Amino acid sequence: MIALAVVLSVVVALLAVLVAGLLRSHADILRALHDLGVGVGDPATTGTAATPTPVPLTIGPPLPAERSTTTAPTVSGSTPGGDALAVAVAGTGGLTLLAFLSSGCATCAGFWNALRRPDGPGLPGNTRLVVVTKGPDTEIPAEVASRAAPHLTVIMSTDAWRDYEVPGSPFFVLVDGPSGRRIGEGVARHIDQVVDLVRRAEVDNSPVPPPAADTHGSGGASASRAQASGLDGPERERANDRELAAAGILPGDPSLYPSSLEDLYGPAGHRRSDVATDGTAARTG
Amino acid sequence: MATLSAHGIEAPLPGGFEGRIFVRTPVAEESTYPVAQFATFSLPDDVADFGGGAVTLMGPDDIFAALFEYGPESVGRRLFARQGMPRSLSVGDFRPYLLRRGLGGQSGTQWFFTESGRPFTLYVVLGSDARAAALVPRVNSLIGPMTITGTTPPLMPAAAAGAGERWN
Repeated sequence: MIALAVVLSVVVALLAVLVAGLLRSHADILRALHDLGVGVGDPATTGTAATPTPVPLTIGPPLPAERSTTTAPTVSGSTPGGDALAVAVAGTGGLTLLAFLSSGCATCAGFWNALRRPDGPGLPGNTRLVVVTKGPDTEIPAEVASRAAPHLTVIMSTDAWRDYEVPGSPFFVLVDGPSGRRIGEGVARHIDQVVDLVRRAEVDNSPVPPPAADTHGSGGASASRAQASGLDGPERERANDRELAAAGILPGDPSLYPSSLEDLYGPAGHRRSDVATDGTAARTG
Repeated sequence: MATLSAHGIEAPLPGGFEGRIFVRTPVAEESTYPVAQFATFSLPDDVADFGGGAVTLMGPDDIFAALFEYGPESVGRRLFARQGMPRSLSVGDFRPYLLRRGLGGQSGTQWFFTESGRPFTLYVVLGSDARAAALVPRVNSLIGPMTITGTTPPLMPAAAAGAGERWN
């Protein structure tokens, strides 16, 4: 019994020491925070006057205050073979996909391999693919050359990374040539994601055919036309309204409120006859 | 303004122009020398030195220009007697029959010269001869600030072994 009491006393004493140590450590932390200017309350400590001190906190590279996400400057630099190459992405006829890759990043390796496939990555036909690495000041040309497929357009240009404010690799920028604007940018983990994004952009940028019953003889409404011309928000909405009105589609028009697929595409029998009037009919008739 | 610089040729690119300066990988015993190509349209990968494969893609407002260097044995020959590249061309310098490949509506001009001890030819194609008055100033904005310096050694077959794939 006495032995048990002694053991319990020792345990209690040890716990008391442990608690005291924790309290002291906690007090030290609070004092340090207070010295840094982020303390809570008014600790009773004296001596070290608590003068608030700004604490610099930096996470990742600083981003520009106003990052330009629409301009598309010409990409110029050198090739891994030491030649010079410049690609104008604005004012061209189609889309240009700029793939900012590095020779060393693990995620980029998947993209380099995908771009070596004999059948290509599967981008739409009017899309020009340009891989942009940092310049020879940062990348080793031989390393880049070893990763690039023979006919892949590769430009080594640190300036391009700066111009497009690329935060890291891999990073992709899609430029619409006719409007000279970036219409998409971001990070992807797999080439299929990029290809899907480009295909969607291509569909969005393609003009909508004029409606079948266009009694006014005007062209079809195209939301992407307003987008391509740089309109956004209310201006873009007004531009779309004007195009719809020119096509004879006024507010309240039933075509604006489809309730079924037939409202969108017409009766099923009519759809079949549409198909039959093109190549199929010619072949069978 | 983007600037292309390689093999002793430096070309600030006016807006809308793209280009490349490269040396082809020699075949057999030939020696190859720098070629510069500039265009206001997307240059395909496999363009011949003087625009074969590209000029057929030109629209009426497009321009193609090539600067082709010859071997040092050409220096001093009468064909290359002109000193310095022309930096300002006129509408009258362009003729439809000066095209290497006659395409309807287009016109071209070609100049042989020596600059910095290097023999060159400058070949320029306009997408539309009828629009020469508007296109020639754009040509001049390209060739005006272009500089050619020094002498580059020819790319011999042995040296080309480690030179990589063409221009890319």
